[in-house]
Amino acid sequence: METQTSNFETFHNIGSSTDWIVMVVYFIAIMLFGSYFGRYNRSTKDFFFGGRRFAWWLIAFSIVATGVGSHSFVKYSAKGFEHGFSSTMTYINDWFFIPFFLFGWLPIIVYTRIRSIPEYFEKRFSPSARFLATLLLLFYMIGYIGIGFLTLGKAVLPLLPENFTMLGMHFDITLMGAIIVIAIITGIYITFGGQTAVIFTDLLQGFILLFAGFFLFFLGISYIGGFDIFWNLLPTEWKMPLAHFNDPPSFNFVGIFWQDGVAGSIGFLFMNMGLIMRFMATKSVDEGRKAATFNILFMLPLSAVVVGNAGWIGKALSITSPDLVPPNTSPDQIFVVVANIVAIPGVFGFIMAALTAALMSTVDTLINATAAIFINDVYRPTLKFLKRKKEAAKIIDRRELAAARWSSAAITTLGVVSVLAFKSFPTVYEAHGYFHSTLTPPLVVAIFLGLFWRKFTPAAVITTFVGGVALMIVGLHSPHVITPFAHGIELNPEHPYSYIRALYNMFVCAFVAVVVTLTTNWQNNIVQYLKQKDNGTQIVYGMIALSVLLFTFILFSILPIEFDFIVVFFLIIGVAIVSTYLIKYDEDKQLDGLTAWSVAKAKEMFKGGKINNVEGEKVSLNWKLKEGEDNFVNFSENDMKRMEANEGDLVYISDARKYLGGLKSVHSVYGKPHNEDGIVYISNEDLKNGVFVKGRLVTAEKEM
Amino acid sequence: MPSFFQTWLPFIYLYGVGGFAFLVGMILIRRSNAIDLTIKRHRYWYRVLIFGYFYFALMHAILIIAALYW
Repeated sequence: METQTSNFETFHNIGSSTDWIVMVVYFIAIMLFGSYFGRYNRSTKDFFFGGRRFAWWLIAFSIVATGVGSHSFVKYSAKGFEHGFSSTMTYINDWFFIPFFLFGWLPIIVYTRIRSIPEYFEKRFSPSARFLATLLLLFYMIGYIGIGFLTLGKAVLPLLPENFTMLGMHFDITLMGAIIVIAIITGIYITFGGQTAVIFTDLLQGFILLFAGFFLFFLGISYIGGFDIFWNLLPTEWKMPLAHFNDPPSFNFVGIFWQDGVAGSIGFLFMNMGLIMRFMATKSVDEGRKAATFNILFMLPLSAVVVGNAGWIGKALSITSPDLVPPNTSPDQIFVVVANIVAIPGVFGFIMAALTAALMSTVDTLINATAAIFINDVYRPTLKFLKRKKEAAKIIDRRELAAARWSSAAITTLGVVSVLAFKSFPTVYEAHGYFHSTLTPPLVVAIFLGLFWRKFTPAAVITTFVGGVALMIVGLHSPHVITPFAHGIELNPEHPYSYIRALYNMFVCAFVAVVVTLTTNWQNNIVQYLKQKDNGTQIVYGMIALSVLLFTFILFSILPIEFDFIVVFFLIIGVAIVSTYLIKYDEDKQLDGLTAWSVAKAKEMFKGGKINNVEGEKVSLNWKLKEGEDNFVNFSENDMKRMEANEGDLVYISDARKYLGGLKSVHSVYGKPHNEDGIVYISNEDLKNGVFVKGRLVTAEKEM
Repeated sequence: MPSFFQTWLPFIYLYGVGGFAFLVGMILIRRSNAIDLTIKRHRYWYRVLIFGYFYFALMHAILIIAALYW
């Protein structure tokens, strides 16, 4: 059934009862599969991080569901339908920042054992930097959840009737109504098993999504009559892998390069807590590198085809059979429309179930990660600040669990409310692009400079968060200030500079960061002068009040645009001086092991001793349970020699069956050697953590 | 035939501006000793990083040529 809304044709009541049965069965099967793996959690660390045990290939495939599942089918099929193969370009532009990630951020987050990104800001800068980073990150995560809900609503809406009658009352089915019902179902669809269950559920869903995507492409090509016919139907402009440089405003190369290739890539690799927790679940930093590299080199290009092909098939069908797929079909519905045409009942239900279940678990993962940030970076520091009296760990744990539950509910509600900000965009793709351009730049710049520039100070990071955001707000109120950065992109008054504003936003944040850092000596001189004055503290408090007032002027655009830049100039000076005055910054302590320049130091801190970089062999052994309570593992002298290991080095022991991917494995420390070659003695605690099977061989290798 | 604005200009911009960011990254991780080329495994990673840049550039170039002439 078709209806006409604005210029697009929309569909309702797609699918049969067989499809609905398949979808319900699929959902139940996925939930049961996830809950089975809950038994591998023995601590909250396991619950959130999966216990640092998995092989690279297992994590690489489980990341596919994160990359493909997160609102991709709907938005890339929409752009594939409108613009062709250039829908793939966002999946093939992530390599440029991979050196920074593999050898900067990844080793730092693993070796410093940080549990959230704001925690890094406290260690590297100050508690107030952590507070502002938490605020920005919560905005980012809640916006991401909103985009997830919007996509789910748009994916499910074509399957539902336009209205229904219940108890004699007549209800219209609207996008917001569908989203609210989905949010309630998502609350029920909770992952029972923590990170291990999420990893394995995503692993299964990743394979299913790849299969469903390629199967749909195969069915579509067959339906059209073969690849040659498909290829020759499409206009040449439409086969280009990169979009037109700067036209149209709704989809152009240069805007998307800055929004996705730069801000998006850094945001995805450096800020996406769900993804970072996944890399932290690999058995070592090197395995994390392999997972990330394999994912970007091979899985993302394949995923680009998987998520976009329904749009390409839809375009070809709109040329050959415009009665089946009208050329003005709503782009966000094209995936559902094409899947329904080329797949038989039941298969269509399977494809839709794979899509919605993956989307739902993506949203669920985001809600969990946001709740983890709330507990770690808001709840605990607040209680610490209020200096609550000491309580038993059990009571604290119970209270934190309750706080995690109600914060999850609040985050879900805020996610639904944030949909209101995005639903006016013509497609999910543009809503997501605008959201990314607006929210990622301050954190991206702060993480990046914090990691790679030792001179970057707490005053500079706080001023970036306040002054940079103020300049971004000026760009929101007056899009004309972005025009010099626009590379000739036309200003669309309804959605001005959805993508290229990422360049403006990153530029102003980086500009503030660099200027404030380079003027650190001036700030110190002013602070020295203030500290010598009797009323120095009062002057600083006056500056704080003035800064709040100036930020309010910017936020509500009270003054004409000409004055905004003058106001921001004074705001930056005020915030920089106040931050320098109030924050104690120990450069030696707060740089040690927290920048790319001291990764080796971070590694030593992680190990608790000198690093042994000599490369040894991996050995296969039988294991025996040892008596006594110490938590070391004991190998023979010869086996230690083969591994080039010394007492006190870190060792990784895993079940020898490779296909388990590290599910049964443990990290431990080399103890005193013995004389029985081919045997390792392990403690009861390590046996419980590793879940080793009696009589099965294990492999051991030195971690560092 | 698509214009230069949809064929080679985006390609040049992508691998020029992106390549500059990539080069800065490679220089920074070398200078900070985050990647230590005296370690065999790190030398392997350094080669993988360089390979990745040309792998994607070649992929895009082939796709553009296929779209234009195939």
